[in-house]
Amino acid sequence: MLSVLGIALAIACVVVVRTISSSFAITGADSVTDVLGGAQLWAVPAAGVHFDPEAQALVADGPAPELALPAGWTGTRTLSGVTTVNGNVVSLRGSDEIGSGKALLGSALADRLGVKTGDPVEIGGQSLVAEIVGGGQSATVSTELARSVVGEKGWWTVFAPRGQEKDRNLAQIFGTATGLPSTSDPAVTPAAGGAGLIYDTVGGNGPLTFEQKFSALFSGKVTSSTLGLISTIGLVLGFVIAVSSFLAAVQERKREFGIMSSIGLADEVLYFFLVESAIVFVAAYVIGVAGAGIAVALVIPGIATPIAWLQASAMVAAFLPAMAIVGALVPVHRLLQQRPVDLLGDR
Amino acid sequence: MLSRGLAYGWLAARRRIGEMVLPVVTTATGAFLVVLVFGMSDGIRAQSASLGHADEIGRAVVLIAVMVLLVGVVEVAVATTRTVAHRTRELGVLGANGVPRAPVVAALLVEPAVAAVLGAVVGAALAAVVALVLGATGFVPTGVAVGGLVLGAGIAVVVSIVAAVATSILPTWIAASRPPIRSLSAGG
Repeated sequence: MLSVLGIALAIACVVVVRTISSSFAITGADSVTDVLGGAQLWAVPAAGVHFDPEAQALVADGPAPELALPAGWTGTRTLSGVTTVNGNVVSLRGSDEIGSGKALLGSALADRLGVKTGDPVEIGGQSLVAEIVGGGQSATVSTELARSVVGEKGWWTVFAPRGQEKDRNLAQIFGTATGLPSTSDPAVTPAAGGAGLIYDTVGGNGPLTFEQKFSALFSGKVTSSTLGLISTIGLVLGFVIAVSSFLAAVQERKREFGIMSSIGLADEVLYFFLVESAIVFVAAYVIGVAGAGIAVALVIPGIATPIAWLQASAMVAAFLPAMAIVGALVPVHRLLQQRPVDLLGDR
Repeated sequence: MLSRGLAYGWLAARRRIGEMVLPVVTTATGAFLVVLVFGMSDGIRAQSASLGHADEIGRAVVLIAVMVLLVGVVEVAVATTRTVAHRTRELGVLGANGVPRAPVVAALLVEPAVAAVLGAVVGAALAAVVALVLGATGFVPTGVAVGGLVLGAGIAVVVSIVAAVATSILPTWIAASRPPIRSLSAGG
């Protein structure tokens, strides 16, 4: 029973960390999907882009690269920066398609600001009428107004000519035409002092999409931080407890296993232990995941979402069978090294 | 009577020091982490600020460190259950001689308490040394807070004693409440 508690606590630790990390992964994937909006290429300034934790969106750090779009290609130059609305930090983007006097808010941002469609919002000293469109954490206003707030900071999202959207060499073709370097790895940052960089969302090798690689960057920050380290140590401790209590169980039941192996049931002993350790680990898993759910809901309500928690639970479930099997094999190995006579003679 | 029970428990715990190694090591690992987390809380806060939700991440780090400490303490309780099972016959002898339940339980709780304190103190001392050495050699840019180290050590010691006694009290109570004749006739 107690070993169940120990393993459950260890599993809860890992689930909490994984919940945080998958919640960041979801944020990362959402923020980049929000920026790209289906575009194949994303040309960012030489100063780079960064995720603003307060605005909860991607923000450009410098003026968008100068691009002359080749024939057939379409692109949108988006201004991007941060501003404050009612004391909240908000990611602001500019678009040519929006008339002055209007502001498009993502639904997540509207919830954060407590604004409904038709409400007035004040951005850059102007009072605008809010309209809630799509998800996301950004406010979009006319280019003119955005320029007055954030200056020339921004990026390009580029769409390939019709029929070529799936071409894996899009970035090379576009890069040659515009003289910008390209990469499909979101971990690469633009060279300082260069002209900028093209992030390629369709090319590149490997099975992961650009959004997945981008979100992996986010979750990696969590798992490689102090949190990840601590939770790994916790899991190792939990496993040590499990094995030590299984070994103790073997000591107490030597005679029982002596009788079984003396009538030729050596293999069945292994099955016994596998079933026992599976029950212990499944019970610990259920308790641990439920406990972690309660803990994250109480302690970190702002980060934890049910989806992130479910992802974390699934991820922990993946390595549970391996732990259960190893936990059963260690005591059985000890047991089978002894002769049945010795086992029977012990008390 | 209670003090005799404690003295008896102390003698028994000294004899069984070898079996306390694993629980002490696991508790020490937990205490080590708790003290380090509190000592370097500034650095952890700076690290989590780049991810956003700095306050919540800070709380999560403390939560997880305490959870790891509890994992370590559970091993103390597991060891106590094992000890009680080993000493069933001895408990029967005590009961047959008319020793009341309270001193017997007190005697059995000495061992987990000693293991928890030893583990927490060893872990906390080790963590303090590591943190101060890291701070002195400049590995921790944000510095090590001595106040945080002391707070962490206090939390580690208190949490591990409370948790060790709380989880050990049930098995020892059950064992001490058994009729002496059943304890005496049990194997072991």
